[in-house]
Amino acid sequence: MALLEVKNLVKKFDDKDVLKGINLELSEGQSKVVMGGSGCGKSTMLRCLNLLIQPTSGEIIFKGEDITRPGVDVRKLRQDIGFVFQQFALYKHLTVQDNVTLGLRKLKKMSAKDAVEKASYELERVDMFEHRNKYPAQLSGGQKQRVAIVRSLAMDPAVLFLDEPTSALDPQMTREVVTVINKLFMDNITMLCVTHDPFLAKYISDSIVFLDKGVVVAEDIAERLFYDHSDPRVRQFFLSVIDHR
Amino acid sequence: MDAFINDLIAYSPQIMAGLKNTVLLMVIMSVTGLIGGVAVFYLTLSRTNAVRTWTERYISFFIGTPLLVHLFLMYYGLPEFGVHLSAFTVCIIGFTLNVSAYNARYLMTAYHGLDKTELEAAQAQGFTHSEIFRLIILPQVMRLSVPSLTNQVIQNLKDTSVAFLIQFPDFFAQVQEIASTNFQFFKAYVTAGLVYLVLVSIIVLVARRLEKRLILPGFQA
Repeated sequence: MALLEVKNLVKKFDDKDVLKGINLELSEGQSKVVMGGSGCGKSTMLRCLNLLIQPTSGEIIFKGEDITRPGVDVRKLRQDIGFVFQQFALYKHLTVQDNVTLGLRKLKKMSAKDAVEKASYELERVDMFEHRNKYPAQLSGGQKQRVAIVRSLAMDPAVLFLDEPTSALDPQMTREVVTVINKLFMDNITMLCVTHDPFLAKYISDSIVFLDKGVVVAEDIAERLFYDHSDPRVRQFFLSVIDHR
Repeated sequence: MDAFINDLIAYSPQIMAGLKNTVLLMVIMSVTGLIGGVAVFYLTLSRTNAVRTWTERYISFFIGTPLLVHLFLMYYGLPEFGVHLSAFTVCIIGFTLNVSAYNARYLMTAYHGLDKTELEAAQAQGFTHSEIFRLIILPQVMRLSVPSLTNQVIQNLKDTSVAFLIQFPDFFAQVQEIASTNFQFFKAYVTAGLVYLVLVSIIVLVARRLEKRLILPGFQA
């Protein structure tokens, strides 16, 4: 059974249909990347999946439960879904360590000592331990994103969502972050990542879902989708994206 | 000049009592105004439209009307309805309502400058509305608002001087009394001004120290 199953997901903003019936499956240990042009609904879809945005209709079955039904414990659900944002979204008034331990202490109810231990272990994994007492303003973009990833991972989520994790970074920092996410991919962390970056997509995914105007047009492995796909919309998109790199 | 100084010495117990009242009023209204300001600010972020609308009206009313009107309304107006409040009570209520509105506005201004993706991240982590307010929003907006909030404390001190108009025996009321006894109005008011200046300087000194302690990398108010 899939860890996450999306059935006919629709999202309308006033009269504008952003998602027009998305179907998607994600199994445990699997990593999928969602790609598509600007405004195709990728980020909206990701936000619908942890109910940051309320879907208009459709089903989202997470761990066997339809989370769109009333009475779902949203707070508990979100603790089980890590979310990494394009703009890092670190809490500016907290040190790196406190950014990671806040959720552990307040949501997981860990003792301060255990939370620090867990944070130290996770920060070590991404080479950020030595920066634990710095504030976000003292870090580079790549370092901020690594901390943001650790903050989510430390909660031991069932799945990690990444929304354009490298879009705000320069090429060198992008490589830093791709390396970290690739390590998660190798460790079989369940991931769903939205990106424009074919380089990132190729190195962190089992398959790539291509979205166009709110519907899933294709799903395939990177090589076939990038260079040899029958759908002209897919071909056109990857031709332009890969040519521009 | 000697006669004036002799008067000051003679009236010093009265003046000191007034000064004590002034400082007490300023401290109380600064604390209650800060607590009230935080509470009002919290209501401005309510997810209920009606709560937000009424909170905004409250702020607009108290910022848009003179403090003296509120004090007079309570001290001279309410007795018409059988409600008799002491000058001290009126000062505490009136100043608190007024200062809370201003403080809430400062906090709102700082809030508008926050990076909203941080709030979305906290929501995505599973924090509730009130936890996000307490753990993420408040620590940041308070830091960003330190200069405005400390300026308000200075304003509070200066505003205590209107309390004598509702018979509250503050420092300025005592100075006024001495002046009306020896008719040396100029010297009396210059002395009052100097005393206020010393008190304001002390507040500024404390405020700057507080600002230095609270400043974090990336937090320039």
